[in-house]
Amino acid sequence: MSEALADDMLVCRCEEVTVGDIKKAIRDGARDVVGVKRRTRAGMGLCQGRTCEKLVQQIISKELGVPASETGTSSVRPPVRPVTFGELAKGDVEDD
Amino acid sequence: MTNEKYYDIVVIGAGAIGTSVAYHLAKEGYKTALLERGDIASGSSSHCDAVAVICDKLPGLDTKMGQASIDYFGKLAKEFDYDFEYTPKGCLYVCETEPEFAAASKYCEAQQKDGYKMRMIDSRELSEMEPHISKDLYGALYTPPESSVAVNPYRLCFAFTYEAEKFGLEKYTYCKITKINLNDKTNAVESLETNYGTIHTKRIVNCAGAWAPFVGKLTGLSIPIEPRKGTNLVSEQTPRLCNNKIMEYGYMMSKFDSINFKRKVSKLVEDQNIAFNLEYTNSNNLLVGGNRLFRGYDIRTEIETVKAICERAMRFFPELANIKCIRTYSGVRPFVKDHLPIVSDVDSIPGYYIAAGHEGDGICLSPITGKFMAEIVAGRPTDFDISKLDFKRFA
Ligand SMILES: Cc1cc2nc3c(=O)[nH]c(=O)nc-3n(C[C@H](O)[C@H](O)[C@H](O)COP(=O)(O)OP(=O)(O)OC[C@H]3O[C@@H](n4cnc5c(N)ncnc54)[C@H](O)[C@@H]3O)c2cc1C
Repeated sequence: MSEALADDMLVCRCEEVTVGDIKKAIRDGARDVVGVKRRTRAGMGLCQGRTCEKLVQQIISKELGVPASETGTSSVRPPVRPVTFGELAKGDVEDD
Repeated sequence: MTNEKYYDIVVIGAGAIGTSVAYHLAKEGYKTALLERGDIASGSSSHCDAVAVICDKLPGLDTKMGQASIDYFGKLAKEFDYDFEYTPKGCLYVCETEPEFAAASKYCEAQQKDGYKMRMIDSRELSEMEPHISKDLYGALYTPPESSVAVNPYRLCFAFTYEAEKFGLEKYTYCKITKINLNDKTNAVESLETNYGTIHTKRIVNCAGAWAPFVGKLTGLSIPIEPRKGTNLVSEQTPRLCNNKIMEYGYMMSKFDSINFKRKVSKLVEDQNIAFNLEYTNSNNLLVGGNRLFRGYDIRTEIETVKAICERAMRFFPELANIKCIRTYSGVRPFVKDHLPIVSDVDSIPGYYIAAGHEGDGICLSPITGKFMAEIVAGRPTDFDISKLDFKRFA
């Protein structure tokens, strides 16, 4: 599928990371979503990778020839949705 | 074709310390390999914040190393092609009460006597420098950017690695070390068994941070480092809430057991051992921390910690109440009881070196640690006396 992706296509809109940036990160040694994230900031923006993670997984899968299921996921770190510090102090967070 | 590999020296662990050590050794001309069980920067050096300041250090060696490292960061930022987001910025140690201010003043005087540029500021100057900070604070200890900088910690690891590769460093990530072979007669380092095959070397440097004890065990060494957990909260991108790195003077209290202040805080904040700190990042997010707890190697974020950090942070910056938190993360600091790292050779195993145990200072002290280790390995005297960091002290 990423065959069709041009290097200048945006993958992570929050942080403006392209397919080419991600391929370069993989050449530099990234093997999973977190490795790509630290090298490119893909998935570090407001949506925390909810939009782009699948695509990042597919690119890694294609580049390294491993199943997408083995490319990891950006560890889910609470809060699950953005919550204010005020709400958090009161403990107003959904259980997850 | 043989799978066997030969190096002058092998560095174990690719955090800030290991990558700096590898950089300095490769630059020195040693044929160097860097072995990391995961990716570069997958340990503590990507689960921290990364300020390098001297005002959280005891007067004397601690401060001297800190300042030398901070100066060195400036030099590396100019030399390196890889940008590690070096950002000089001042630091404010905020005092809530008069007794805290008095203690901070004493500390400030001691540092000034040694020639460091810190000064005490009153509450009026504090609110001029930080318009969003609570108005009822007593004052602060201010450290100017000459002695207070920030870097991006994992980019720092990538930068050291990238620059070291120019000097021939070879890296082995996702590397599993199953055995370290020592000479039967001399007990000297001979080789390592790994999933990449046998790696021959006469010297290894254990830079495995909080995990250094496990690497130590492979050769029967007992290395007294413990993981000490800390948690940070990351905000959405916001207009600038603070201009300096902000910490509370009570932070000192949790860092040095010898200093014993009583803060007026809730039981939750006390139990969670919260030390408020706040900084903005280059991407305009805020990092809000922090605390120190012994929880083994478990780095899952605890909800009680998050609550306590928020409570404490809003005492200093009430506007945080309406700012969104987008993520939390926790990490472990490689803690040593006497709060000094181990940067040393090991008498019982010729060719074995350790650079680990930097607790909350590993990013800050990484440049100078790498330089020291290269000097130790080369058998040259270090820039200043670091015999206090010798592994012998645990004998
Ligand atoms: C919340 C928090 C905030 C902090 N804030 C600051 C700060 O502002 N300033 C500062 O200077 N410091 C700070 N620190 C401390 C800093 O994170 C550490 O001191 C530093 O990261 C330690 O670096 P290291 O290279 O020794 O360890 P690590 O970065 O953990 O590197 C060790 C590496 O060794 C690898 N490893 C382990 N076992 C093996 C093995 N058997 N084989 C191969 N590899 C192995 C690990 O995977 C890891 O990558 C903070 C820490 C925390 C938790």
